[in-house]
Amino acid sequence: MFQKVLVANRGEIALRVIAACRELGVRTVVAHSQADRLGLPARFADETVCIGPAPSRHSYLNRPAILAAAEITGADAVHPGYGFLSERADLADGCAEAGVAFIGPPAEVLRLLGDKARAREAMGAAGLPLVPGTEAVPDADAAAGAAGDIGYPLLVKAIGGGGGRGMRLVERPDRLPDAFRAAVSEAEAAFGDPRVYLEKYLGGARHVEFQVLADGRGRTVHLGERECSVQRRQQKVIEEAPATGLAAGARARVGGLVTAAARAVGYVNAGTFEFLVDEDGRFYFMEVNPRVQVEHGVTETVTGVDIVKAQIRIAAGEPLAVEQDGVRLDGHAIECRINAEHPETFAPSPGAISTLVLPGGPGIRVETAAYAGDMVSPFYDSLLAKVIAHGRDRSEAVARMRRALGMMVVEGVDTNIPLHLRILDDPDYLAGRLTTTFLDRFLGTGAPAA
Amino acid sequence: MDIDRIGPVLERVLGLMREHDLGELELESEDLRIRALKAGAAGEPGAAVAAPASADGAPAGAAPAAAEPVATVVEAPVVGTFYRASAPDAAPFVEVGDRVGPGDVLCVIEAMKLMNDIKAEFAGEVVEVLAENGQAVEYGQPLFKMLPAADD
Repeated sequence: MFQKVLVANRGEIALRVIAACRELGVRTVVAHSQADRLGLPARFADETVCIGPAPSRHSYLNRPAILAAAEITGADAVHPGYGFLSERADLADGCAEAGVAFIGPPAEVLRLLGDKARAREAMGAAGLPLVPGTEAVPDADAAAGAAGDIGYPLLVKAIGGGGGRGMRLVERPDRLPDAFRAAVSEAEAAFGDPRVYLEKYLGGARHVEFQVLADGRGRTVHLGERECSVQRRQQKVIEEAPATGLAAGARARVGGLVTAAARAVGYVNAGTFEFLVDEDGRFYFMEVNPRVQVEHGVTETVTGVDIVKAQIRIAAGEPLAVEQDGVRLDGHAIECRINAEHPETFAPSPGAISTLVLPGGPGIRVETAAYAGDMVSPFYDSLLAKVIAHGRDRSEAVARMRRALGMMVVEGVDTNIPLHLRILDDPDYLAGRLTTTFLDRFLGTGAPAA
Repeated sequence: MDIDRIGPVLERVLGLMREHDLGELELESEDLRIRALKAGAAGEPGAAVAAPASADGAPAGAAPAAAEPVATVVEAPVVGTFYRASAPDAAPFVEVGDRVGPGDVLCVIEAMKLMNDIKAEFAGEVVEVLAENGQAVEYGQPLFKMLPAADD
């Protein structure tokens, strides 16, 4: 096991990694920005290193500073959390050069999965069903030809990255040329890579993803699926495990495909395979997130497997303790992401938290680095806390979540708690009638989530 | 940046500064950068050199004589290992009492086997060395105290 892990992240995920290290008896160093000097990760880590000023690109995205911090503190591993540099092959390369373990997949796997077109091809070859689509399309004329085979509506998507940038929804053929050009220039600006491809647009689909753990010593397991359809502009708002309304046998069947695909590309450590599921229950592979997910806690809650500790153990060369046959799902878990934002306009709400009352009691888990007196910084994302409710079934989990959020108090900044409470009373939500356009319809904005 | 969006953001920034009695607040997003400085607050842009602040711990209210220069702290602009000389057997780049000009090397900070020369940004006299040779330093850590040259 490692002696000392450098945490190259901030907020609740930095604290989550510190918690896992403490349980494993591993010392921690937090590499933090000047803005996070007084944060809880800096308080609870064994050591701290300030790596740069508040803006992420000078601190949490500053690869040389993070590697230098690992070097001067003698850390023997780096945990990148999620976001920031977590999916960057060059961070994994830098760690390897510095003789420090990277707690994540091998650099070549990150390189493969970071190229959407290559990842799609590799996953198709490994047996995963793909959304009907193309390889890179050179120009608008070629796009028009390929579009005839796929059918409308379709998406023009950037090869170089995700998050909705470099993406256009096209409803009709006459809209394709403009949408194609717009996607190309946006992709070039956002990712430095103008290449785009076409994909069929699945309107009434759900977002379902499988959690995988692979130890690189021959054992690859999946921990079941998560339902993450409640999202706004590609940002998940509520996640659950397991997904409701999956056909009998779908978990074992798709889980088997996913573990086989993970083996085929040499996947090691924790990862998530994202799918769209259409109205007929057909699964279509979207992408792999080669890191710990924000929503890993719902899977931990129903399986009892500590995913972050498993990540650290795998990177330290230990075999996975859990076997596929030993993975059992206990009840139902729901996570609400509490963001510091206006519940209706979604405008970020930075500022000082004057009062913070966190819920507890049976079946409630809260992941947060916030405290009364803390500043919600305008420099970073607005995630304030994750509240996870566990029940013996979905309705008990919903009841616990309503109770918990109704007894949670955040003053000084706006939060989306009122929005969550409204969703938790919505008949479609309660019936599990979820698609990726659910939240837009719920909010009355009507625009497709693509 | 839509001009209509700047007003509320500015108000928020100013509100935060008042609320927390901040001398300076800098906000940066994809398409906007705002740096607000309270009137009279000492502030000097630049990552490598700290805002000129009284480093001698002068008692509150006892303003230094107008002509007297105030010592300035030079901070580490990068994380790494602090070295006062280019090699173990070489003489230090600077000693206390040395006068340096802008661009003169004060020390090196090694990070990832790269030697980063840390240079003086203004002419002045080194009055104190605040870090030990071979010590790990973090971003913003005080390295030297310098007295700016009077005629600058």
